[in-house]
Amino acid sequence: MSAVVEVKSLSKWFGEVIALNNLDLEIGRGVTGLLGPNGAGKSTLIKVILGLHAPSRGSVRVLGGPPRNNAAVLRRIGYCPETDNFYANTSGFEFVYWMNRYWGMNNRDAARAAEEACDLVHMTDRMHDPVEEYSKGMRQRIKLAQALAARPDFLLLDEPMNGLDPQGRDEMYALIQRLAEHGTPVVVSSHVLYEIERITDDVVLLYGGSLIAQGRVRDIRALIDSQPHTIHVSSGSPRALAARVAGEGHILALELRDDGLVLRTSDPNRCYDLLNGLALGEDPLVRTIECADDSLQAVFDYLTKK
Amino acid sequence: MEHTPGALAAFLGAKPAARGYANAVRGSAGHAASLILRQKRLALVALVAFLPVLIPLAMAFLSRTQFVDGGNVVFVRLVEQLYISVLAPLLALFFAGMLVAEDVEMQTMPYILTRPIPRSGWVVGRFIAYLCVSVAILSVSITLTYLASATLANLKMTDRNNLVLLAHYLGVTAAALAAYGALAVFLGAFTKRPIVYGLLLLYGWQKIATVIPGLVDFLTIKKYVDALYPVLATQRAVVEVQTALGSFQKQVFIVSASRAGLVLACVTAAFLVASIIAVRRREYVSNRVAGS
Repeated sequence: MSAVVEVKSLSKWFGEVIALNNLDLEIGRGVTGLLGPNGAGKSTLIKVILGLHAPSRGSVRVLGGPPRNNAAVLRRIGYCPETDNFYANTSGFEFVYWMNRYWGMNNRDAARAAEEACDLVHMTDRMHDPVEEYSKGMRQRIKLAQALAARPDFLLLDEPMNGLDPQGRDEMYALIQRLAEHGTPVVVSSHVLYEIERITDDVVLLYGGSLIAQGRVRDIRALIDSQPHTIHVSSGSPRALAARVAGEGHILALELRDDGLVLRTSDPNRCYDLLNGLALGEDPLVRTIECADDSLQAVFDYLTKK
Repeated sequence: MEHTPGALAAFLGAKPAARGYANAVRGSAGHAASLILRQKRLALVALVAFLPVLIPLAMAFLSRTQFVDGGNVVFVRLVEQLYISVLAPLLALFFAGMLVAEDVEMQTMPYILTRPIPRSGWVVGRFIAYLCVSVAILSVSITLTYLASATLANLKMTDRNNLVLLAHYLGVTAAALAAYGALAVFLGAFTKRPIVYGLLLLYGWQKIATVIPGLVDFLTIKKYVDALYPVLATQRAVVEVQTALGSFQKQVFIVSASRAGLVLACVTAAFLVASIIAVRRREYVSNRVAGS
């Protein structure tokens, strides 16, 4: 099966700073996780794949063609950026509508596609409200709606889980997997391995602008699990939450804070399952979950032989 | 966001059709117009643009004998010296200058640049939106000023010659807005501070160029806009220039109205093409890079 993205000897630098260093990789169908700590070059790679940046050296081909200023390729790509920026005084519907017009739809098609995309991300009730009144999670949904509205053949999602509550994340995981099942290749960038692990087994690991590994996430998982894992949990009742999780055998340490807990666990999978269960319960003890990422950093340190 | 497999398949299967270039231009123009019309600065600019209407009314109200100038002279002065020389460049800077720059500032460029819209269609669409809004504002204001000037002597509202004069000035205003606007779009696409550079060029350089002896004024848009004025060009051959050191006369090389119109059309087209090239070549996205 031909690769959706082919990157050959790709380097990108800004002045004296090397953002991407001689990358060679291919991304195929299904869901691919683009993983790396902040500053690894994930967003820069995505922007080169989208043609927003021209390669300083090397080449990128997406769906068989170079992406930069190439309408034939861009017409088939959906992109959900990491940054949270919208036009002022615009509703979610209007935003998706105008993005559809820029895609090339006429007035009627753009309006219909915007409605359908807002419905797909469950924003129909609020789609005519100003974006400024949306929560972070709602803005993420609108960004996803604009990426999906033109029914792309290839989807690039830059940190799509940012700002989503646990339920929103679960829904996002499910949607990404379903899109892939329906034949839409999806690249998802994240600095949290757990997020990627929930949706795919194929990952590309970037660190310092270089490709350090590409392959199955379970091989990396083994490395991760050998490291302790730190998780920040926000809660309205930190003491009740501490009482609930303290007895679990995989919890190595607990730090009580005014707005929640900091947990250190030897088994991140069981810990995340436990926390998600508490977040989705009738009386949720968990508001948000955030990976402190130190374990991932440890694996990157290990892989880069620091 | 849970969906049945059938619902998602139906959604993905209903792929919309992509239309042609004209649709892209219309889409870009419609979006730009909606953005301009919602800007807070629109009210401020409109207020400034409509203030000159009060001048002939104030003159008529204060005294008819105090001012020797008739309504026709007042109208011509207001249009040439205020509307076309000051307000047209101002509207160009504040609307056209921000057509590209605002997307860069608000970091919405990734949305635009990852869409398959031709870059030329995007720039031209936005320019058309600016031109429609700014021409509408100044045309209404100039027409109101014409009506207000009719309260003074020597200008009859329904006189055919006066109406032709009004139409002529509306045309010159549109030409000035197009040329200044194209320059402002280019500054917005090519520099990070289009308003600053625009103020320096349109109010600084154009002023200086008119007092420097020689042919330097050929390098201004104002030279060709002035050449379109209805008053006989020969009357403008020698101009008196006021400076801090005194006044002096400067020989002005005349450009015919037809050639000036051609130059303005070329200037407008050239700056639009330069803007399109800048949008195609520049990397507007912020550079968050490894180790930075």
